[in-house]
Amino acid sequence: MSTSAKMIIVLTLIATLSGGILASWDSFTAPRIEQHRLEALKEAISEVLPEYDHYDEKTVDGRTFYTGKTAKGQTVGIAFQAKGSGFQGEISMMVGVTPDFSKITGLSILAQVETPGLGSKIVSDPTNKQNPDWFTEQFQGVTPEPEITVVKNQKPSKSTQIQAITGATISSKSVVKILNNTIEQAKAEYAKEVKQVS
Amino acid sequence: MNLLLIFISAAIVNNFVLSYFLGICPFVGVSKQVSSAVSMGMAVTFVMTITAAVTWLIYHLILVPFHVVILEYVAFILVIASLVQLVEMFIRKISKPLYDTLGIYLPLITTNCAILGLALFAVLREYGFIESLVYGVGAGAGFTLALVIMAGIREELELANVPKAFKGAGITMIVAGSLALAFMGFAGLISI
Amino acid sequence: MAKKEVSLTREYLKGLWDENPVLISLLGLCPTLAVTNSAVNGIAMALATTFVLVSSSLLISSMRNFIPHQVRIAGYILIIATFVTVADRFMAAFSPEISKALGPYVPLIVVNCIILGRQEAFSSKHGIGRSLLDSLGMGTGFLLVLFVLGSIREILGSGSILNFQILGDWFNPWMVMILPPGAFLTLGLLIGLSNWWNDRRANA
Repeated sequence: MSTSAKMIIVLTLIATLSGGILASWDSFTAPRIEQHRLEALKEAISEVLPEYDHYDEKTVDGRTFYTGKTAKGQTVGIAFQAKGSGFQGEISMMVGVTPDFSKITGLSILAQVETPGLGSKIVSDPTNKQNPDWFTEQFQGVTPEPEITVVKNQKPSKSTQIQAITGATISSKSVVKILNNTIEQAKAEYAKEVKQVS
Repeated sequence: MNLLLIFISAAIVNNFVLSYFLGICPFVGVSKQVSSAVSMGMAVTFVMTITAAVTWLIYHLILVPFHVVILEYVAFILVIASLVQLVEMFIRKISKPLYDTLGIYLPLITTNCAILGLALFAVLREYGFIESLVYGVGAGAGFTLALVIMAGIREELELANVPKAFKGAGITMIVAGSLALAFMGFAGLISI
Repeated sequence: MAKKEVSLTREYLKGLWDENPVLISLLGLCPTLAVTNSAVNGIAMALATTFVLVSSSLLISSMRNFIPHQVRIAGYILIIATFVTVADRFMAAFSPEISKALGPYVPLIVVNCIILGRQEAFSSKHGIGRSLLDSLGMGTGFLLVLFVLGSIREILGSGSILNFQILGDWFNPWMVMILPPGAFLTLGLLIGLSNWWNDRRANA
């Protein structure tokens, strides 16, 4: 058998073997991977919305809205993802708002690569023993309109303010900037979708 | 504006070598002289840019529409291996002296984690076609930067009294650590 | 000239120290630095890599007489990439936490020079039994380095080991250890130390 023919046959054999292994492995693992993804998504939504019975998913202009509803179909809140650049890299989060987008119901940081020990406090602050999640929790009830602002070293006095993390002002401000940009845009997109339906 | 952000982020703030640990193998081996570092850097940047383009096309035009995303790693590495082969033949044709300078480094680019890493990251970050290209150029520039700085330092180190046990890889890693520390100072350069 | 037959145990043990893939051959540095911010991550990565190494070695060793010389690299790469995909998907399906922690460094096992290096240098020239021992040895050596590096960085950088907090509140963690500079410095010191130790042994 000529070398060229042998080369082609062997490579085709290996490729077929590879394809076979991967195809069957794909069908074996894909369902579980999807299940994990859905579980993580559900957990993130539950963290930012008030109690709901089930949620509907709708995508408008590339953004997916998760509308939490009661058993009777009444909307309790709307959750969606927001992302943008933080201090070290991208921050991605899930934010929940009231049905009219007038108040934030919750915030959950999904992924970040901020400075460990400083910017990473936006997720969990080990120096605050009573309430390590204080940073994201303070967003509950905040009014995003006209825009959220950041105050340093003092408690917020207005419903549009949140307190920055000491030593991590930029990370704190990044979160706020991302929210300001996203909520405004999301509100317009959602309104468009509702108009389409009705 | 966004493209500039991507470029600076890949080249400096999140330097491929010093922040993501990609491309370390040639880092230790090639960075002894500034001239070879520059040649290697340019070759890598060239391959990276083309790889970014081709892998993006393959992922979005073939793998996704045909639901065979599981073939991602196999497809990407085969693309890279072929591209390096083609680039090698291309450089040999158009400039023999350049080909001789790069020598063994060219085929080694295939196993350079930075190339595959670039392709994978661009997909993970859901970059568009142009964004992937810019990302590739930026990553290559960052790789070259780190390599050249390292080569410069190592040329000086030749004259220094490095303890025997640390000569070579040991001191290179320690210098890399200092470089990585310095580059951390760039964080926050391109945010608010 | 007759080739000295290497004992079977030797075939395995050499990967642990004398020919340690990371400290002596300086291969696989990318994942070594990237995922050793904690001992658990280091161990997980080493296990995944060993899986790919052993499976590829077994397959390539059994096919070594059929793969034409010219296409051997392409063939090896194809096989290695397949097993890496298997390992990656396995982790994503059965331990999503670790999969997320290791992130894109699992697919980078494809270009881990240790694996391709071993196929070229050993598995393509030896039988299945020896290839198995060789790859297990290399994998174990890799595991040892990643465990040590991961533990050092975790203890100094987080005050814990294997996720168990062992240093109390009195300890102010050295953040730098879990960041890139800490990785480079620790690895540099480890390499220097092992070189020094080997020198001493050779001159003793």
